[in-house]
Amino acid sequence: MAAKRKLKGESLFLRYLILGGWALFCLMPVLWFLSIGLRPRTEIITPTPIYFPTFSLDAWHMIWEDWPMGQYLRNSVLAIIGSVIIDLVLAIPAAYSLSRFEYRGRDDIGFYILSTRMMAPAIVAVPIFFLFRNMGLLDTIWALMLIYAAINLSFVTWIIRSYMLEIPKELEDAAKTDGAGELRILWEIIIPAVLPGIITAAVIAMIFAINEFLFTLLIASTPDAYTMSVALANFTGGSDGIIYNAIALVAFLAFVPVFLVVVAIQKHLSRGLTMGAVKG
Amino acid sequence: MARIELNDIQKRWGPVWGVRDVNIDIADEEFVVFLGPSGCGKTTTMRMIAGLEDPSEGEIIMDGEVMNEIDARDRDVAMVFQGYALYPNMTIFENIRFPLRMRNIPKQEHDALVRRAAELVELTDYLDRKPAALSGGQRQRAALARAIVREPQVFLMDEPLSNLDAKLRQAMRVQIKHIQRELKITTVYVTHDQIEAMTLADRIVIMQSGAIQQIGTPDEIYNDPANTFVANFIGSPPMNLIEGTLEGGIFRAEGIEVGGLPGHHSGTITLGIRPEDCTVAAEGAHLSGTVFGVEPTGDTTYLTMKAGNKLIEVKADRDYRADLNIDEKVRFDPTRIYLFDGESGERLR
Ligand SMILES: Nc1ncnc2c1ncn2[C@@H]1O[C@H](COP(=O)(O)OP(=O)(O)O)[C@@H](O)[C@H]1O
Ligand SMILES: [Mg+2]
Repeated sequence: MAAKRKLKGESLFLRYLILGGWALFCLMPVLWFLSIGLRPRTEIITPTPIYFPTFSLDAWHMIWEDWPMGQYLRNSVLAIIGSVIIDLVLAIPAAYSLSRFEYRGRDDIGFYILSTRMMAPAIVAVPIFFLFRNMGLLDTIWALMLIYAAINLSFVTWIIRSYMLEIPKELEDAAKTDGAGELRILWEIIIPAVLPGIITAAVIAMIFAINEFLFTLLIASTPDAYTMSVALANFTGGSDGIIYNAIALVAFLAFVPVFLVVVAIQKHLSRGLTMGAVKG
Repeated sequence: MARIELNDIQKRWGPVWGVRDVNIDIADEEFVVFLGPSGCGKTTTMRMIAGLEDPSEGEIIMDGEVMNEIDARDRDVAMVFQGYALYPNMTIFENIRFPLRMRNIPKQEHDALVRRAAELVELTDYLDRKPAALSGGQRQRAALARAIVREPQVFLMDEPLSNLDAKLRQAMRVQIKHIQRELKITTVYVTHDQIEAMTLADRIVIMQSGAIQQIGTPDEIYNDPANTFVANFIGSPPMNLIEGTLEGGIFRAEGIEVGGLPGHHSGTITLGIRPEDCTVAAEGAHLSGTVFGVEPTGDTTYLTMKAGNKLIEVKADRDYRADLNIDEKVRFDPTRIYLFDGESGERLR
């Protein structure tokens, strides 16, 4: 563990200045979106900058009243949560196997799993369209759940596996001599020890799923399955032209839940793995 | 409870030897200590007994039953791991209770058993903490408590006291021996600390480079070492090993002459004599050299003699003092002299 040094005076001030500047830089687009989302449409496309825009809830009313935004939101949330659950149910045992048992071809299998991420999504777009059509799943959130889960499964497995590799083997040996079976060991020892890794993987999967566009557009053809990300695209078509303030506001709304989730669990994201389990 | 036989056990990982040719018959209720330097195969041997490692060759038999194919979980051994292996997400209480839950011991007994084990290792105040919030010594004691919380067939302890300070180590040593005698559970204990081995063991197994050098009671190991490795490993300071030649019953090295030795050996010989079997004496002296160092420790004084280019350790009287580089003479107790083959290091009798 790195030693904590007490910083004083200038050096502390400098540190806050740099970190604060960086935070502002990173948050700028978000604040910009919020600012655009909360001004009237007329103040958006102007050649001269407006430093103090008029506050307006036009876009807010528009997205909730003219569009079934509640349903899009619900679709997004269900599809994403469903896909993350599918991922974890499949990835945890897979990662356990890949990290803990020795069998022929284990590392190859691990690599194949990862390699599914390496091709361009467009290559499989058409086959997947037909697959879901034949299964009668087009335009349903079930299809979205499955496709998000499929997209994220490989790296969720990979992240959890890498956390599992960090667990000292002695921990499992101890559990074995204490009389625990494999499932007990997985449930009572391994999963709690890699919880930070599981949470990290789940959050990243969530973020990918929220941003997923291509396959969602392919699968969803009516508001039955539209998600926030596809809804955004809707504001750019039609007779009204591009509705920038609505786009910005929806984008901001899509950002908020992710932000809240990350804030809520951030102590798990950075926490040490197996603190106190072994010597040293 | 359990007798353990290891028959012709070998362990290899590809070209790497962990253990070669281990044979030992551990009696029921016996306390056996494996002693040897780091990397000599102690942990590996213990892991094979626990069922955590399969021997490449040989049989492990417990109470007449071949155990090679039996899972670790079904062997009913309790092990203290060298690296503690405490479950990081559980409190110390939960850690100690874990084997009770896994072995289906009635729930209403858990609390009393955990508390008793924690008391034995003086850890009752820390039961609510997570392992991360304990010091190394406390973690080690928690690991010990987890092993002694139930009554298994066999205790396996891999350097369970290595991280405790001297005082606590002494106290825990007595505690472990007491628990073992009380519960009458066969115990295999691994250490690289010879004092631990001497004080705890019914029998000591000395290992080096994966092979057993000698098996014997602490007395036998100390007074009747099988080779120079054992002679040098046991005793503090260790036995003096002096290379020289033996001719007609007389051993000679620079500054050293010892007569009256058995006439049937000759040639290059290593003579062994423990520091406590040497006395500073002009009369009948075997060694004449110069004083190289004097170390008073309070209850005794260690004198280091230089003869030729060889340093020889002597346990002198507690108030012995001498200036450096003066001439001094030392006498060996003739009944306490050991002879070893100059090449193989094997004991000559
Ligand atoms: N899993 C393993 N793979 C390869 N070599 C190993 C493995 N475990 C132990 N060894 C080797 O076997 C030898 C004995 O190790 P060990 O039993 O841990 O020694 P000790 O406990 O006496 O210090 C060492 O040389 C070690 O490097
Ligand atoms: Mg070891």
